[in-house]
Formats: sequence, C-alpha cells, structure tokens
Amino acid sequence: MKFFTASILALSLTTVLPMVAFAADKPVVGLVMKSLANDFFKNMLEGAEAHAKKRGDYELKAIGMQNETDFESQLNGVENFITQGVDAIVIAPADSRAMVAPLKKAMDAGITVVNFDVSLDEQAKKDAGIDLAFVGPDNRGGAKMVGQALAKALGEGGKVVILEGNPGADNAAQRKLGFEDAIAAGKLDLLDSRTAHWETEEANSVFSTMLTAHPDIQGVMAANDSMAIGVIKALDAAGRSDIKVVGFDNVSAVAPFLKDGKLLATVDQFGSQMAADAIDKALEVVAGGPKLEGWITTNIELVTKDNVK
Amino acid sequence: MTHPDSGALHQAAAAEATRVPILDLHDVRKRFGGTVALNGVTLSVAPGEVHGLIGENGAGKSTLIKILCGIVKPDSGAIRLSGEAYEPQAPRDAKARGLQVVHQEFNLLPFLSVAENIFIEHLPRNLFGVVKRKDMNVGARSALDAIGLKDIDVSWPVERLGIAHRQLVEVARALMTDSRVLILDEPTATLTSRETDRLFTIINDLRSRGVSVIFVSHHLDEIFRICDRVTVLRNGETVFSRPIGETSHDQLVRAMVGQQLQKEMASEAISSAGKETVLSLVNFRHAQSPHVDGISLDLHKGEILGIAGLVGSGRTELLRAIFAAEQPLSGTRLRNGKPAPFRSPREAIQAGIGFMTEDRKEEGLIMTMPIAANVTLASLSSVSRVGLIDSKLENAMTEQLGADLKLKYGGPSRHAATLSGGNQQKVVLAKWLARNPQVLLLDEPTRGVDVGAKAEIYALIRRLAEKGLALLVVSSELPELMTLCDRIMVMSQHRIVGELARADFSEEKILTYAYQGERRHAGH
Amino acid sequence: MPGMSMKLVLRDAGIGIALLLLIVFFSLSTEHFLTPNNISNILTQITINLILAIGMTFVILIGGIDLSVGSMLAFCAVVAGTVLTIPDFSVFQAVGLATLAALGTGVACGFLNGWISAFWGLPSFIVTLGMLNIARGAALQVTDARTIYSFPPSFNAFGSQMVFGVPVVFLIALALVAVAWFVLSKTVFGRLLYGIGNNEEAVRLAGHSLMFYKVAAFTIAGALVGIAAMVYMARLNIASPIIGIGFELNAIAAVIIGGTSLSGGRGTVIGTLLGACIIGVLANGLILFGLSDFMRQMITGVVIILAVIIDKYRERITAA
Repeated sequence: MKFFTASILALSLTTVLPMVAFAADKPVVGLVMKSLANDFFKNMLEGAEAHAKKRGDYELKAIGMQNETDFESQLNGVENFITQGVDAIVIAPADSRAMVAPLKKAMDAGITVVNFDVSLDEQAKKDAGIDLAFVGPDNRGGAKMVGQALAKALGEGGKVVILEGNPGADNAAQRKLGFEDAIAAGKLDLLDSRTAHWETEEANSVFSTMLTAHPDIQGVMAANDSMAIGVIKALDAAGRSDIKVVGFDNVSAVAPFLKDGKLLATVDQFGSQMAADAIDKALEVVAGGPKLEGWITTNIELVTKDNVK
Repeated sequence: MTHPDSGALHQAAAAEATRVPILDLHDVRKRFGGTVALNGVTLSVAPGEVHGLIGENGAGKSTLIKILCGIVKPDSGAIRLSGEAYEPQAPRDAKARGLQVVHQEFNLLPFLSVAENIFIEHLPRNLFGVVKRKDMNVGARSALDAIGLKDIDVSWPVERLGIAHRQLVEVARALMTDSRVLILDEPTATLTSRETDRLFTIINDLRSRGVSVIFVSHHLDEIFRICDRVTVLRNGETVFSRPIGETSHDQLVRAMVGQQLQKEMASEAISSAGKETVLSLVNFRHAQSPHVDGISLDLHKGEILGIAGLVGSGRTELLRAIFAAEQPLSGTRLRNGKPAPFRSPREAIQAGIGFMTEDRKEEGLIMTMPIAANVTLASLSSVSRVGLIDSKLENAMTEQLGADLKLKYGGPSRHAATLSGGNQQKVVLAKWLARNPQVLLLDEPTRGVDVGAKAEIYALIRRLAEKGLALLVVSSELPELMTLCDRIMVMSQHRIVGELARADFSEEKILTYAYQGERRHAGH
Repeated sequence: MPGMSMKLVLRDAGIGIALLLLIVFFSLSTEHFLTPNNISNILTQITINLILAIGMTFVILIGGIDLSVGSMLAFCAVVAGTVLTIPDFSVFQAVGLATLAALGTGVACGFLNGWISAFWGLPSFIVTLGMLNIARGAALQVTDARTIYSFPPSFNAFGSQMVFGVPVVFLIALALVAVAWFVLSKTVFGRLLYGIGNNEEAVRLAGHSLMFYKVAAFTIAGALVGIAAMVYMARLNIASPIIGIGFELNAIAAVIIGGTSLSGGRGTVIGTLLGACIIGVLANGLILFGLSDFMRQMITGVVIILAVIIDKYRERITAA
C-alpha cells in the first residue's frame, strides 16, 4: 500500500511543482527532498525557500516524496529536472545507491550536482565513475556525540539499548555506527538493538517489550526524536524515571522533554540551513567556481536542557 | 416451414438397414443422492447419423451428456464406442476417443482471441513454448471458413462476438479435433434462423463425412428437419427410439409428457379464481423488452396464472420488473386497482407481493446461514423488538411454517445448504408466506426438485390459491403449468402471444403459440 | 446467530488454542513473557490494532475492505489534536470536543467510503485506496506536516492508566468488542450484515436496502478509527500526520487470522479479538525470545498465511 500512496503522491508532486515558470536570466536550482511529511525536511524546505527569497539571484524548484523509503518519486524528479535543463540539482538521496545512476545522467547532461543530508555510497560512486561532493552533517559523529553524552551520564558499564531507523537507510546505519562508537568509547554494555522504523508508536511497543526483557536498562539511544518520544511514553507508563534517553534531530516536540529532563540530549543538524548551504555551494560552481570535492560537513550541535530553546 | 433437408429421410431409411452402431448405450443408470437422474437409458447411434435427443427439462438429457463426455460416471449400464467399452474418466478421455461436446453453457474465454479459443486445447508452439501465432491464426481461419464464418476476424477477442457467433466458434473448436461423434447440446437456442440454417449445412456436411451427430433440442420442427432418428427421454428413461420417418410431432409430444402426468393434469381442475383483480399490468414494459406497448394482464384473487414460453422469451424479466427487482421502462402496475409504482423490492413486499426466484442458490437463499434466518429474512420486524432479534420467536415462526409446509429439516439452526432441493424451495416459500402476501410470483417453482417434492409443492400452491392468494407462475415444464394453472399466457419475444383457458390447455397449443411468435420474429 | 454459534464456537476455539499454544511456548521459552508487567504491555500494544480491527470486521463481513484506516487514523488524530491544544478550553471541554472531532472525522470519512462504493457500485478496494490518499493528504494539509504535541497532562495520564494491571485503553477496546459482538449476533442489523456478505441479492429481494447497511458498515469502521485516534493520542501524547502508515494491513491481518472470510459473510468479532492477540503476542514474544527484527517480520507473515490455510481446511471440514 505504501507503494501506491507514494507513487500517487509522487506523481502529483512531480507534475505540479515543477510547473513554476522560469525566470530566464537566473540560474535554476532543482532541490530534491526526502519526505515532506516530516518536520525535519519540512523545516529544511522552508529554510531553502527563505534562502532563495533572500538571495533572489536564482530560481528554486523543489520536489519531495511521501515517505522515507520511496525513491521512485526522486528518480522521476531528477529525470524531470534533466529534461527541463536546470543548472544545478541539489539532492538529499532517498537511497544512497539507487540514486547514483540518475545523478550520473544529470552530470553527463552538464548539470552541477550537489549531494546533501545523506551521502551517496562511496563504492557505487566509484563504480559509476563519478566524483561527487557531499554537503552534510556527520550522522555518525552526531550519534557518537549524543551517545557520549549518555555515556557520561551513566558512567562505565552502563546498560543501554538502541532503537534503529529503517533498516537499509544510510543515515540509520550511520547513526547506529555512531551509537556503537560511543558505546565502545564509554565502555557501555549494549543489551539489544532493534528497529522501530523511525515511528513513535512502534518505538513505544518495541521499547516496552525490550524493557520487559531487560528491566536493568539504564539508557536508550533512539536514532530519531519521534522514536525517543515513544520511548519516553513507555517509561512514563512503566513508572521508570531512572532511565535516560537520547534522541536525534531536535524536533520541536521534544523541547518540553529536554526541559523536564525526560530527554537527556538530542542532536541538532540545523536542517533548515543544510539545504541552503548546499544550494550556496552549487551556485558557486554554476557561477564558475572550482569543482567541489570530498565531504563538506555542516554544523551539528548537541542540544540539552542547558541550550534548548 | 419448408424442409430443405428432406433428403435426410431417405438417407435415414438407408442407414436403418445397415446399422452398426458407433455409439451404443444399454440400460445406463445414475443416481445423485436420493434423486434418480437416469433410470435406464438405451440408445444407439449409427455412423453418419444425426440423432435427435429430446425430452422435458429434467428428463435426463444433461446427465446423459455429462456421462458421455466424462464429467459424471454412470452407476450401472454399458456404453460402447466404436465397438469397444467406453468408460471416460475425464473430458480428456472422451476427446481422445473422438467424442466431442458443444455445451449449452459457453466454455469460451471472453478476453482471448477467437484463434486462441479455437486452439486452446493444443496451442501450436515452438521449442521454447512460445505460441506460434501465425500458424494458429491460419489454422483458426481455415476452421472458421470451413463452417462458413468468413465475416469474423480470428484475432478479435471473443467478447466482441455476439452470442450466436460464439456458439458457432464453439462448434468450430469442437471440429478442430477429428471426432467421430459430435454432441450438440441445444445449439440453436441462441441462434437466429439464418444461423440455424448455416449450422444445419455444417451438420449435413459432417453427416456426409461419416461423423455422427447427437442433436439435443426443444424445437421439434428442427428435429424433423435435420435428424435421421430420434430418441425420447422421460424421467431418466428411454421412451422410444425410432427413425424420424416413423414418428410424428404429436407422438413425440405425448412421449415427452407421459401418461401419468396427463392423468394428474386432468384430475385437478377445481379453480378457486375469483373475480376481484389484485394485480394488473397495463402496457408494462420491462427493461429488456423491445416492444413499446409492453405487456398487459390481470391477475385475480385466488387465481393461478401460468406464463409459458421458451427460454429467453422474457418471462423472468417480467416477474423481476413486477417485483421492482429491476426497474420497468414504462407502463403501469396496478395493485387492487390502484397504481403501484414500486421503486424497490421493499415497496413491492410492503404491498403484499412475494417473489420466489428461479435461482434459489444465487437469489433466494443464504445457503450458509440457518434455516430460521432464511425463513425470517423478509419479516425480521415481526420477530424482533427495537432491532433485537427474539430467537425464541424466530424459531417458533420457523417451526410453525416448517410444519405447515411439511419441511423436512434437522432444526431451525441448521444451514439452508443442508436441505434437499425440494426442502430448500419450501424454505423460500416459507420466507414469503411469513409475510402473508396476497400476490406470489413463482419463477420455476420446481426446478431441481425431485418428483415427490414436486407433488407436495403443487399441492401447496393449490392450497394457497384456495385461501385467496393470487399466483403468477413461470415454468418451462408445460405439464407443470397445465396441472397447476387456471389460465396460461404464452410469452414469446417479450410479448404475450396467446392465452388459454383451462379447458383449452394442450401442450401443442402452447408450443404453437410459443413458436409462432418466434417464427414471426425470425421473419423480420 | 442461532445455531451458527456452535460451529463458530468451534472455529474460534481453534484460534483460541493457537493463541494458547503461543502463550505456553513463550512462557516456557522466555523468562519475562508471563509477568504481569509484560501482559499489560501486550494489552496496551494490541489496543489500537484491535479497535481498528473491530471496525474492519464489520466491513469485511459484508464482503468489503477498508484500506484507508491507517490514513484516517492520522487525519482523525490531527483534527482532534488541533482541538485538544486550543488553549482556552478546560481539560474536560477540550477532551470532549476532541473526541467529538475525532469521531466526526472518522464517521465522515467512513460514510464517504461506504456511500461512494455503494452508490456507484465501485469495489471498496478502489474507493478506500482513494480515501487512503485523501485522508493522508488532508492530515498533512491540516497540520502543514507538523507534529502536534503538549496535550493536557490528565488526558495523557489517562492513556497509561491501569485497573488491576489492565490498561484502561484495553478495557475500552474490550467493551467495544462486546458491543460489536452484541450488534453482530443479536440484532437485525447484524443479521443482515451477515446476510449481505453471504448473498447480497437474496437480502435485496427480501426487501432490505443494501445501501443503508453497506454505508453503515463503513461508517462504523470510521467511528472506530476516531476512537483509535483518541487512544493513540492519549497513549503517545502526540498527533502527527504521518502516523498509522500500514496500520490497515495489521488490522486486516487480525481479522483474517481471527477466521473472518475475506469474501464476507462469515466470522466473528471474538475471532478478531483473538487474531489481534495472536499478532500482539507474536510481536512481543519474538522480541523477548531474542529473534532479529527481520525474522520477526517473516514469522508474522507465515502466521497470516497459515491462518488462512487452516481456515480453508476447517471450512472444508465444517462443510462436509
């Protein structure tokens, strides 16, 4: 069913949105987003739109998709952008391997491509013979950062569990690796690690069962804040205020939890700026600047009770 | 009616002298549970003979054909094909022995092409299993040409063809395999006279090639026109089998009907029909009717009015329109003299009308629900309070009606599917009687019902009429109508073409009316 | 349903035995399965699916299907969540109005599902597939794709309230099962739903309006989605337009495992309760058992197929 939803929505997005008229003299930037039905990407898109307005020297065209796992609409979007002959494509790929081929096609067509948010797979890039810079946060570094905050609070030997994102998603894998880095560095004890598919309700169910299996859990690392909320609700229901939780993304819904200490820490990737940053880099190249290389990291920040807004 | 093929009679006489049967049946019997379907059928078919097989509905023709093509196994009796014992286990065996059947029900796949349908049993294919479309189309073309269907493109999907052409495509398919015996099960039911002529040309051609044809039909004039020999079945038995020249129309009708039922018919003649008109139709036109003036009739209190006619003459459609199961196109329906423009069965029911459909499995009963639930389906408000079903009341009502109708059942909570055909029909009847209707429409009330239950249902219908209920009965079994009815109207091509008072009832008169209308139509 | 009951009791008993075997298995093989805490966890975890599945039972019984319940859940939740966070109301007013809003939204969507498919004679599969997108789009539109949070604390507390270790939300679901059972087995309305699922034409020719009953079944399913949305919000304290993706499949699975025939006319809401329990026990037990997420998903799939096979087999036996 997800497939149907996704393709129907993708169809409407890709057909309707790019119909905005071009201003002939300005460079056109095609922004390919992930799910717009998600606060994080929603903020990012709004950041990019504000940025386009502020700069005023380029045309922004954006497409998104219905949920996190649907890369077909991205594929169609990229192809549409190639057909329309945009100057630059700035993309947060839904699948780090599947998107390589269409992007190569775009580059062959002379379009400047900048990859942000999730890095394309190194091996796939090498196989396709393309070299593509990545503008984005260090998901692994961020996860390690927030994981270490938890490690510091628990001390050596603290017993933790991980709630993972969608299996197969690159940022989910990176965040899991980051958590594991922090566990190794802080000499924590990992009891269990399971996916809750980024979802609040599933995280709530899965975590409450994990808690039954391991009543001695002391800390929880959730790969996004939606899942962290589900965990916090499970802890409320179980009457356990002794277990510490960290999340990722700093969505607005967790602010109250940070304030009252139910959420120890989360990571802000400044999503609203990330797309704008990537667009800036792309425009530099379009204007004749040097080719981008390697990984251009964007700012990330640990958010706790002390600096939450 | 001319007989262009009257030469057949002479050939038949010649064949009679040197009969070495290709197909020979001796005392074939078959029971389905408690119902006897075949009670000793004996017949033999000579090579190159066109053999007519006739009988009333339920006489055993279908069962016989099913046995011959390997769908059903006989309980006893001997069948020989080309002199060897013939015991087909499956339709495949029948085909392998050179026996082909063109069934009454269509066996074509509507979305495949004509060619694919013709070749469906052995699609020409190459080494890799890919269908050789060209070969197939060429083969299909010549098969259609052979039976004179030159105006059909073999690449058309079958759904594009009219019903008559489909029938002929079926014939073409059956002729694909070299067969020695070809059985045509009511092939002309859907054909116009021109197409029937074409089919008869094909049959004559087959006869000259030495193929035997068993020709099943209700149309006696066709039997006389094409057949060399005719066999009459009644109640699962062979009445007689003789060369066509040695019998007559009258003789065949009498043989089909049987003495006993004729006697029964004669014995019951007390009419309870009153003067009071409870239901009238004025220029009433149902959705399938091509006639603007529609149908007009009056049904009186306590009367049993029969509607006779061939399948497809519009009888069922008329009943459904009266009951507002389908909306009529135009005309007026009067109930006790007042206009009754029902928009749904619900309103018809509220006006005191009940409708026993011809297909009780699909339209009458909920087979997987309890008998009680079926009995009360149309009168739930009388066994419930504020929407809650009172199961005591429900069971009481079921038991009461069950006793009235002599229903044989395991209990009100047993599923309707557990009942025999006759008892299922009684449950449908009970469903309507539970509402105390004044008018009851009955469509084929004894279809699929054994002889014993048939008599019971007849008695029930008469008793209801005596109590003042007006009944409109549609039946394909003429003896049934002649036994039950005070008056019979004959329908043909969606019109009333004749009306007979009880004193004038005869099977021939009814058939004459029925065919008259048909011939008139074919003459257009 | 008089007399159907005996056979249906047997059918349900089969599912009940399967559930019992699962419980015994997990109790013996894992340390924590049969603890009061875990049992209340399981009951909480199955509540939303159970409520959705009750509504789905009505729809499947008349031979329909509702693919839109997951999206409708999100739509109901965000509408109710918007009402719930209006600052001027007292808690009682807010919760009361939010409940009405959730029910109203669910009823409206369900009514549309039923009316469109009945009036135009369209397969409900297609109509509810459309509603799946409409409701999801509407939920995103209403919220501008943002999560709603910060509900009144007392509402939130209600979501995790227990009575003798049994979650109150589960008791609500259980009460709904009881009501649904009563309606389906004791009323004229229920009788005719079964009738329609078995033989629509016979019911129509007996003078009943198919339209009314079809629309009613979908509307009931919609109302239950509204209730499920309130339970969701009480339990998790958020309302987001992207919740509930794929929930319809879980609800359908519960109904099917519970022995209701996808072609309609056969099944009980008690079966649905047991089906939801089986799904919940499996999800919970397999985690405790230490099976990987992927294996867990596979086993759930196998159980669904097994349930249908067993059902077919049993049908053959009872038919004989």
